[in-house]
Amino acid sequence: MKMYKLYKTPFGKDAALTVNEDGSSTSFLFDENNPDYQEYLKWLAEGNTPEPADQGE
Amino acid sequence: MSVSYGGDSIVFADGSVNSSGFIGHRNRIINGAMMIDQRNAGTAVTTDGAYPVDRFQAYEDTDGTYSAQRDTTAPAGFVNSLKWTTTTADSSLSASQYSGIYHAIEGLNTADLMWGTANAQTVTLSFWVRSSLTGTFGGSLRNNVGNRSYPFTYTISVANTFEYKTVTIAGDTGGSGTWLTNNSAGIKLFFGLGVGSNFSGTAGAWAGNNYLSATSAVSVIGTLNATFYITGVQLERGSTASSFEYRPYGTELALCQRYLPAFNAVAASDPICSAYMQSTTAMRAVFVHKVPTRVAPTGLTATAGSTFQFSGTAGVNGSGSLSFLGASTEVSWFVATMGATTAGVGGAFLSQSPFVACQILLTGCEI
Repeated sequence: MKMYKLYKTPFGKDAALTVNEDGSSTSFLFDENNPDYQEYLKWLAEGNTPEPADQGE
Repeated sequence: MSVSYGGDSIVFADGSVNSSGFIGHRNRIINGAMMIDQRNAGTAVTTDGAYPVDRFQAYEDTDGTYSAQRDTTAPAGFVNSLKWTTTTADSSLSASQYSGIYHAIEGLNTADLMWGTANAQTVTLSFWVRSSLTGTFGGSLRNNVGNRSYPFTYTISVANTFEYKTVTIAGDTGGSGTWLTNNSAGIKLFFGLGVGSNFSGTAGAWAGNNYLSATSAVSVIGTLNATFYITGVQLERGSTASSFEYRPYGTELALCQRYLPAFNAVAASDPICSAYMQSTTAMRAVFVHKVPTRVAPTGLTATAGSTFQFSGTAGVNGSGSLSFLGASTEVSWFVATMGATTAGVGGAFLSQSPFVACQILLTGCEI
């Protein structure tokens, strides 16, 4: 089951990280032109919830 | 040696042609010979929107499935093609379903064509194609927003045999559509492999619609195990197809990296970029793009953190995923979790030793 973990960049931008089935990882800013962000939006629309960002991030 | 003149072209004795459009850098298509595959190195892709080779995207929004990859089946003079195989057929497409191969040409590389004006220039598309199916196939050229399109057809006469095709298209002089001349998509090229009626139009005419292909074209997605190969794709100014423009491999790779900055290790301890330990376990790395990108990347995909290492005062292996932090068109910045070492030290971010395949792809730059 795919899962995303939220984080913020050092400049405060929202971003998310997911580990793929083959062990690779994908991370991306919440930018509408990024295809992985678009996939994340579809995942959210399916009713899924990401892991929150770690404290202090 | 003899030459002949054919309107806007010179035909040499060996049949090769130079058109009047440009001498050098005639071809607006990048990676038209399908040689460069930074993402997959020839491994097949199967998902909608995946790139089987650089700059060419596979679309499959049907009830079927497909597999596509860089292949070594190619006509004389080429070493690769893009191969599509239908792995689950959809023989009854709904009106809004479609499948095919997509390539976007950046507007900065089409501005001289002056499409959308009275001075619009004629272009000629040429390519080598092969399929297990025969008949009339379709495709289209479109503008960025899809309110101007030109469906075209070509015929494959013999199954499983490469055939050379050319399509000449008078530039779009009318309509209310806009042809972008900036770093967004200037011209979108689509080779239809099964397109529903909503996206299929009359071949050979400009339309104010978002057509991806021509009405009644062959549907490759409609036949299980049907194959489709394409290579030598060229779009050039003028009404004559000139010989395929082979650019140096390094040049073609650099052109691709404007849309996909990437690192692929080929040996143990391959240096990737400089880095420093921001804490005892968090390594921050600055990856300089070999080519300035079309737009700043907005993400990355990388192999597991354990496929990387940091070499500072001592070597430590990666233990967590790489996370994208930010970028300009020149540089990307990311963080990786490493084995504990001294905070504050600088060093090099490297591929693992002994060697395991590792890869970093910066995303968000494709059109």
